[in-house]
Amino acid sequence: MQDTVALQAKSRSGEAKASSSTLADPRRATRLVLAIFLGPGLLVYCGLTAYPAFRTIYDSFFTIEGMDATFVGLANYRDLISDETFWIAVRNTFIWSFVAPVLDVATGLLLALALYAGVPFARFLRVAWFTPVLLSYVVVAILWMWIYNYDWGVLNVMLRAVGLDALASSWLGDPNLALASVIVTHAWKWAGFNMVVCLAAIHSLPKEVLEAADLDNCGWGAKLRYIIIPMLRPTLLSLYILAFIGKMKIFDLVWIMTQGGPLWATETVSTYVYKRAFNWNTFDLGYPSAIATVWFLVVCASVIILNRVLGSRERLEY
Amino acid sequence: MTASAAAREGAAPLPRLFSRGILALVLGVYTIYTLGPFLWLATMSVRTTAEISADHYAWPKPFHWEQFRTAWVDSDFATYFWNSTLVVVGAVAVVTLIGAAAAHALARYRFRGNRLIYGILFSSIIFPPQITLISLYQILVDYNLYNSLLGLSLVYISLQLPLTVYLLEGFFARIPQDLFDAAKIDGYGDLEIFWRIVLPVGMPAIATTLILNFIQLWNEFLFAVVLITDPDKRTLPIGIRAFMGDHFQDIGMIATGVMISVIPVIIAYVFFSEKLIRGMTAGAIK
Repeated sequence: MQDTVALQAKSRSGEAKASSSTLADPRRATRLVLAIFLGPGLLVYCGLTAYPAFRTIYDSFFTIEGMDATFVGLANYRDLISDETFWIAVRNTFIWSFVAPVLDVATGLLLALALYAGVPFARFLRVAWFTPVLLSYVVVAILWMWIYNYDWGVLNVMLRAVGLDALASSWLGDPNLALASVIVTHAWKWAGFNMVVCLAAIHSLPKEVLEAADLDNCGWGAKLRYIIIPMLRPTLLSLYILAFIGKMKIFDLVWIMTQGGPLWATETVSTYVYKRAFNWNTFDLGYPSAIATVWFLVVCASVIILNRVLGSRERLEY
Repeated sequence: MTASAAAREGAAPLPRLFSRGILALVLGVYTIYTLGPFLWLATMSVRTTAEISADHYAWPKPFHWEQFRTAWVDSDFATYFWNSTLVVVGAVAVVTLIGAAAAHALARYRFRGNRLIYGILFSSIIFPPQITLISLYQILVDYNLYNSLLGLSLVYISLQLPLTVYLLEGFFARIPQDLFDAAKIDGYGDLEIFWRIVLPVGMPAIATTLILNFIQLWNEFLFAVVLITDPDKRTLPIGIRAFMGDHFQDIGMIATGVMISVIPVIIAYVFFSEKLIRGMTAGAIK
């Protein structure tokens, strides 16, 4: 405590003393050195992240057409409340963000358990299952548009091959199926990521506990339910939150596969902002800025709330 | 006790074999599910569209390697490829250097506001991209950087900065302080310490960050599609999408173009799979 007081006192007493103190304490540096190390990073952050973010919030109170900005107060926000498409986009994004992460994390955990159980070729399988994570959304979207193709896509070809012709559908063209189809594609890409994280977490569990369970002749089901899942809880929760954040931002996949269609069935907040800002000929950047601002606040608030709600029971004694 | 154990062992083989078989089957099916689409793409990339239309699932016969030449020369994929390379390599080099410098300062020195700066940098990881996207478009237009590879590169630097600082700070903080104390006694200045100790010692972590940043930017789509409109300046992701928009039916050529964009990523993955997996998981476990 006294130390920190002393340090603060020193830092206030100007450059000369601070530079002489670097010799005494290698953990301290002059302002010049700190500026050299931190300056470029902070400059990039301020110029290309913080300033644009504030400018978007500021812009949301204007109507901006080309060079002309007209102050409109809260009108953009008032319009937003009665904008049906926006609410459809919010609903779709929320469905995706809350439901799909469960699917992702569960698949990842099961795959990790399979590898942990000691199957042959575990190394190869781990690398193979991780591959989709590295493909770009453009590639994944194109691949799955072909897989979902009505006439010759893998899915319909297989359904017809086993005589289930009635189930063959236009997966991306049917408003009732499109969102689910895009969610499956997204889960395909990310399952491998959840798998490697779960696997690393399982390997770092204390060995004695698992061995003790083996001695007690504990079956896989019981081991999973009473030992592995409770002990992995922090990892699984942070994976859930990560997946949640990713899905709140989802744009690329939807934009390439369906452009938010058919009939707004797959519209997400991100695609709607993009449409309003750059795709429709509305030429107003104020309104999309308002959507972006609202969504920014929603994402930050959701992450904080999720951290609180899920994190409060996280402390687990082992 | 021994009797029950013996009974259990006697009873074990059949259900065990059965459950092993199920497990193997599930794993096999899942492996086909992840790799199958990719292999399908690879076969289509060396077949002509006419052949593909006749049978979408046939083995390539003969292999039309000239498809790659056509895509590269006639369909402008060479331009897209070099644009991507220029933008991504430039951005990754700069972001790694300035990210490493910032991470070093945050991990090593005690100063007021250290954790605050770290928190501010780190928290922008959760920002939805739209909050900066619309204004960045306006800003780049203002500074004549819209529709330029330099502008896109600058934006990419800012996109990857938080992750770079986060990953490297975690690693640099674990370098023993003794090393720095010894260097100080030997008369190294602060900058020398960074060049001659932190960078070499931190090389494994820096390499991981490099590869991770490379792949994420190579695949980036949203900012590129907003900030680039000139066909000559397209990067691969938006180039492929534009090509697909114009030639929706030309499946063979689309597949070839997609393969061209995937090959560098696959090469990086083949050589650095462990580093990459570790880098991507480093953020999640803590």
